[in-house]
Amino acid sequence: MQNVTVARPRLKRVNLGGLSTPIAFLLAMLIFAIFSPGHRFLDPRNLGAMAKLTPDMGVVALGVGMLMIAGEFDLSIASVLPFCSYIFTQFLIAGLDPFVAFVLVLPIGAAFGLINGLIVVRTGLPSFIITLSTMLFWRGLLYGVSHMMPISILPYVPSDSPLAHLLTGQIGPVPVQILWFLAFALILGLILHRNKFGNWVYATGSNQDAAIAMGINVSLVKVACYMLIGFLCAFAAVMQSVRLGSFAATQGIGFELKAIAAVVVGGTSLRGGVGSMLGIALGVFIIQIIENGLILMQVPVFGVETFIGIAVILFVVLNNLTNRQFASQSA
Amino acid sequence: MSATMDDVQSPGRDGSRSLLKMVGIHKWFGQVHALRGVDFEVTKGEVVGLVGDNGAGKSTLIKVASGYHRADEGQIFFEGQEVKIHSTKNTRDLGIETVYQEQALAPHLSIARNIFMGREPSTFLGFMDTETMNNRSMDALTGMGLKLRSPETMVSTLSGGQRQGVAIARALNFKAKLVILDEPTIALSVKEVQEVLDFVRGLKEKDIAVIYITHTLYHVYSVADRIVVMAHGKTLEDVPTRDTSVDELSDIIVKSTLGE
Amino acid sequence: MTTTTEADTIVDAESRRTQIFVRFRNAGVLAILLLLVVGAAIATPDHNFIRGANLRTLLSLGSEFGIIVLGVGVLMIAGEFDLSIGSVLAFCSLIFTLLIAVPINPFLAALITLVCGSLIGTLNGLITVKAKVVSFIATLGTMLFWRGLTLMLSGGTMRSAVLDDHPFFVNLFTGKLGGIIPAQGIWFVFFALVLGLVLQKRRFGNWIYATGDNALAARAMAINTDWVKIVCFIIVASLVAFSAVIQTTRLSAFSSRVGTGWELRAVAAAVVGGTSLLGGRGSMLGIFLGALIIMVIENMVGLARLAYEWTFMVLGLVTLGAVLLDLFVERRVQRATAA
Repeated sequence: MQNVTVARPRLKRVNLGGLSTPIAFLLAMLIFAIFSPGHRFLDPRNLGAMAKLTPDMGVVALGVGMLMIAGEFDLSIASVLPFCSYIFTQFLIAGLDPFVAFVLVLPIGAAFGLINGLIVVRTGLPSFIITLSTMLFWRGLLYGVSHMMPISILPYVPSDSPLAHLLTGQIGPVPVQILWFLAFALILGLILHRNKFGNWVYATGSNQDAAIAMGINVSLVKVACYMLIGFLCAFAAVMQSVRLGSFAATQGIGFELKAIAAVVVGGTSLRGGVGSMLGIALGVFIIQIIENGLILMQVPVFGVETFIGIAVILFVVLNNLTNRQFASQSA
Repeated sequence: MSATMDDVQSPGRDGSRSLLKMVGIHKWFGQVHALRGVDFEVTKGEVVGLVGDNGAGKSTLIKVASGYHRADEGQIFFEGQEVKIHSTKNTRDLGIETVYQEQALAPHLSIARNIFMGREPSTFLGFMDTETMNNRSMDALTGMGLKLRSPETMVSTLSGGQRQGVAIARALNFKAKLVILDEPTIALSVKEVQEVLDFVRGLKEKDIAVIYITHTLYHVYSVADRIVVMAHGKTLEDVPTRDTSVDELSDIIVKSTLGE
Repeated sequence: MTTTTEADTIVDAESRRTQIFVRFRNAGVLAILLLLVVGAAIATPDHNFIRGANLRTLLSLGSEFGIIVLGVGVLMIAGEFDLSIGSVLAFCSLIFTLLIAVPINPFLAALITLVCGSLIGTLNGLITVKAKVVSFIATLGTMLFWRGLTLMLSGGTMRSAVLDDHPFFVNLFTGKLGGIIPAQGIWFVFFALVLGLVLQKRRFGNWIYATGDNALAARAMAINTDWVKIVCFIIVASLVAFSAVIQTTRLSAFSSRVGTGWELRAVAAAVVGGTSLLGGRGSMLGIFLGALIIMVIENMVGLARLAYEWTFMVLGLVTLGAVLLDLFVERRVQRATAA
């Protein structure tokens, strides 16, 4: 009797892995375009509103995704974002020019990230617990210091001011926020896929021991990713505050879960080493579309969260299945 | 009991051909005395098999040689000069490349990105020169007789033997003078083992020295010029391959585990 | 690098270290608890902390939280996390409320709720273990799901859950032994003893430690780690269901906001009690004391009339502090025993 081993076609699985995100994107668009009452989903005003809202979480999600490819998590964005907003507001109240305030708050955001990164890297403990703790800490501090009172920033950054134009204006029919999001996605995508540093990010997430053996400073890689997230949080914080016209301590609530959902739906593996910037960007859109679409169909807010919860689990399982060929086979 | 360095005769070994020389190496891990005054030498173009049972200290010794661990006592000479080894980058600059037991390959990355991991050639601002990476990867692969279609193939799709080949190609690519192979044939099929042994012979032809660690005496016996047996952190035997046999070596190793 | 002979020495040293560490840690936790209690007794206005009424409140409300912490701690020893406890608490609370409104005998209703809890736990376990979704993401997902479902079913409103016709039931879960000791506290101690016995004396307890410490090794020893983890998930969710019954009985109402934020409080309590975030290390005594510490801290914050917001900060700090302290003590012990 002859034993014939049949080579399993692997090509199919690679393609599917890359396709589940675009398919989900198209599906989501289609479903809500068809089923939203009066096709309101496709109304240009609705699309415009989405274009303005998405980048708040989206910009940060790009950074969260890069970190997850490197194999770590950051849940503290939900607190760092409003905190940066608060600091920005305080700078304005202190009389700083809005641009100066904006430019100053960016490295402060990076500093938050630095703290997260250092703790994670020095202790080697699960990053989700560490960042969950820092999230609580910053949130508590912010609530205590701001007494949960919203602060209007319109007197400092009126809607016709240059900063407002820069961050919340329009170019033709297109809101500028979405352009910022795409710009960040492009730059970070280039870094992730074409730059040395990007290779280090993938190596760190795919096989940290190998990366260390090859002389890559994985601690540096991780801390840099955390700092990037902090920077993006600060950027998004100012962008959001200027759009809202105020600081609110509740800014960013729920972003940590939505960002993870976006990243996961975008095809990123929870174990690290797998993911793409394009996928993450699409994931951001998908999550926003789902949220927007469900609200248009008058599903109550908590229904949206339920759906996102299911989506996360589903996509993690899906990613695992399509990535199974990548399961570590080292001895 | 053991043959001393001076007694052994190996092809072309005199002072000028000495590549790596480790003298009196001691290493402790907490209370465990892993290396107890080890002397070890490799000459250019020589294939040395390093064998011994578990716990003998083989892996520890080559980890000291490759800079992964630092020796607590002892001296290391490379090409006749004393060197201080303190990191893996250090040793790679010297020309010592290690192919780890775990291959140190990232499964989700392509061959080219793995070969150049940590040493990616780049143009301005750190953007990778993928053309150079791909070309040089292909050169390294074909130089070893590894027939792979594209350097952009993801490593996880390769067989064990091919992955081993990629890891060795990586060492070759960076102009290694000494390649350390730690258990290169574990979990490989018969055919893949032969591939790896052919790679090793290829290295020897290029005058690159090889330290080959293994349990499987038959494998190393067919490629090594010299075999060093270790046990309990010391070298027991150091003989040219032709002066001994697999059975004899096997006996020595088994006896070493019964003693002490 | 580490081989059989070296490994043996190291394994022995390792387990010795762990034992010393655990004893050290528990003593430390007890010390912290005593310090806090004494500090609170002295520092709170009018020594309010020590007053009987406060202590009774502390023990009754706190124990509802504490019971859940016991389960969370056991799961963490097995190496997994359950972030859905708050949502499951709300969901089970709703189930119980709906059942007794029918009206169904409260004991039967409680039983059904417990069964629901164990099924939810099974689901969490299956997703983690069989679908291979990392537990904290899996339970993050189920957390959203159950909370959402609860809100949808209840419309976000409060519902009353009056049990005036069943004084025995009410007393059993929320009464006071001898007029002083809250029943919840007794249940808390009871579960701690039971789980503690399982962890220390039963084979299954050993399997939990093994699974959390080194799942590969455990599997090599023919321990079904998947099954161990699923059972631990069931334990957590069942305890949550039990707590939901107690809490709903005490409040005589269901509120859709119960349990929010409990997941990190529970992890903080377990960590403060010496449970390792990486699994394989922890003791029931430590977890029990850790739960008490968190209860006392929150009570103190309330008595000091600090705004609720400050509790977030305190919680974050406490968790980080506990985690860092853990590392510090572990390294100290390593150095001491390695010399």
